[in-house]
Amino acid sequence: MSKDGLIKTGITGLDDILLGGIPRTNVVLLQGVTGSGKTLMGLEVIYHGIVQYNEPGIIVVFETNPNKLVRDAAAFGWNLEELQEQKKLQIVFTTPQVFRHELRSTDSLLLETANEIGAQRIFVDGIGLLNRDLGGNAPERAGFREMLQQLFESLDRENLTAIMSLEVGSAPNSMATVEMTDFLADTVIQLGRDRKGRRIQRSLEVLKSRGQDYETGEHTMHITEGQGVQIFRRVQAPSRAGSKQPTSSTMRSVIGVDAVDTLIGGGIFDGSTTMVVGISGVGKTVLGTQILREGVLKQKTKGLLVSLDEHPAQIIRNAQTLGLNLEEQVADGTIQILFESPQELDVDAHYARIIKLIEEHDIKRMVIDGMTSYSTAIGELAVYRDFVHAIVAYSKQRLMTSFFNYENPEFLGVSSYMPDFPLSSIVDNLILMSLVEINNSLHRCISVVKARGSKHSFDTREFVIGQGGISLVPLERNLLPPVPLQAYSSLLSRAPTRFSGSKRKNGAAAVQDKE
Amino acid sequence: MSGVGRQVQYEENASMGRGKPLESTVQSCLDGMGISLLSEWDVLAFVYRHGASLASSDQIAHLIGYESTVVKAALDRLESEKLIERSRPSEEVRFYRIFASSDAGRQRRLQQIVSLAETRVGRLLLAKRLKPDGSNRDEKNNRIS
Repeated sequence: MSKDGLIKTGITGLDDILLGGIPRTNVVLLQGVTGSGKTLMGLEVIYHGIVQYNEPGIIVVFETNPNKLVRDAAAFGWNLEELQEQKKLQIVFTTPQVFRHELRSTDSLLLETANEIGAQRIFVDGIGLLNRDLGGNAPERAGFREMLQQLFESLDRENLTAIMSLEVGSAPNSMATVEMTDFLADTVIQLGRDRKGRRIQRSLEVLKSRGQDYETGEHTMHITEGQGVQIFRRVQAPSRAGSKQPTSSTMRSVIGVDAVDTLIGGGIFDGSTTMVVGISGVGKTVLGTQILREGVLKQKTKGLLVSLDEHPAQIIRNAQTLGLNLEEQVADGTIQILFESPQELDVDAHYARIIKLIEEHDIKRMVIDGMTSYSTAIGELAVYRDFVHAIVAYSKQRLMTSFFNYENPEFLGVSSYMPDFPLSSIVDNLILMSLVEINNSLHRCISVVKARGSKHSFDTREFVIGQGGISLVPLERNLLPPVPLQAYSSLLSRAPTRFSGSKRKNGAAAVQDKE
Repeated sequence: MSGVGRQVQYEENASMGRGKPLESTVQSCLDGMGISLLSEWDVLAFVYRHGASLASSDQIAHLIGYESTVVKAALDRLESEKLIERSRPSEEVRFYRIFASSDAGRQRRLQQIVSLAETRVGRLLLAKRLKPDGSNRDEKNNRIS
């Protein structure tokens, strides 16, 4: 039993939305269209009440065959039959007429049964049926309202926490029923089942809950076989973690990748966010893998790689070809890899899974590979932006050093860091990885465009990918072409220009030379 | 032959070819439970399927399509045979439950026949073996018309 006057539903994610639970003896209304999960949710509240919180319960059904209810519950691993045998649960089949009378009667068999098993929760499935045979004209609606009031009064008198389901449908008096019931109930939870593109998306929204605060807005709901209902808080909801948590640090950590550490001024601030922008194939994933691995080996910090593009097995294999033994870190849990297919990506659930991994494993470094896939998977730009803002804000609150890989589609030269969504202002550091064509070959280059609070280099440096990952080409080393990279200007444009021999070291003179 | 036609043919073969041993099983189960009327079986099956039912005999009759008098008689009989138990009345409404018998053989017979009754073949066998007395409302209306 809860000590704070709140009853826990036990449903994953729902008690967090309700900021702890529902005030005891609140009448809870679950409303929604057919197939939105009302019965299942009511069942689950009763089930968890018994199994987790030792609060026996009663389930009242008017139309559903109780045996089918037991059968359907078994699919989620809930043995209702056993609970009935243990006298912790009673499923009662009855008619609306009987139920209307029972809770107002001092001679009530239903309440007698509830007292016998010590029931503290009751779920009534299909409260709209109580109005069906009363009709839809004004006096009859008034009669229904009065009946509901009496019903709620008697539940309150018995100190039973009641959960009721109400189908929102197309029946003539459906909306009137909904309005009345919404007004009288203490907690109203709306379950949605909407078509989004070609898929069905379930949602949950707390419309009201007397006596408490709660997370407003529409949250994502999943029904998972073997588990039941799961609620995922919407990513747009501001964190309630508290403003007391620090959002910045003066501690710098060496990344462990020379290319980055050299250019960025020796390390980046803990808890900073870095966007790595570059064309496909330039080495962003390799860089990300190296960053995480070096974090484990040198900084003793655990890492998380989130990918929508590559399966973990492929990531590990590709790393292996470069002599980066990622498999070892994955096996011992120091690096976690979360892969989710971008097909019909559910952003609330995905965000919740990321957060869960970070908190369970105390992740200190995270690489998200790649942001472009999120853009296409999520579809709606506003939701995509909210997701990015949420993950960046969360990273900063935890002082987790994060890297976001973004695939810029521009092959040679960059006219805009992120064409679809100007994210660059949100992050602390911006690293550009690009391909430069010199003579007839492509060269990989890296530059730090921005590093808040750091004295970073503005040089563009050539790098290679080989055993051990990414490494900078030494300045003095001559690779093909014979003229070193530093002999060129406008490396990030589509047409790099070579300095003349005598002006190579003087940037200003080189500009004059070019002119 | 269509898929549906094949199914019907199979069920008929089952009732005719393999039916004899099945019929004996059904008969012995029914005899062991003391059920002789189809109405008694239908009321028992209703209570079995619905677990704890809080209703009046009139409402049960309404739900399963029998005359109230027939259902009342069936409920009385089933209680006397200790197949169901019912609570005290509260303005004609009672709780009806399957009697939790300690006789394992009886429980097994009940479960056996309930499983059988969930098939079309089983239902036909029961209808054949049990007396139709205490006919349902539809049959009576049809006879009158």
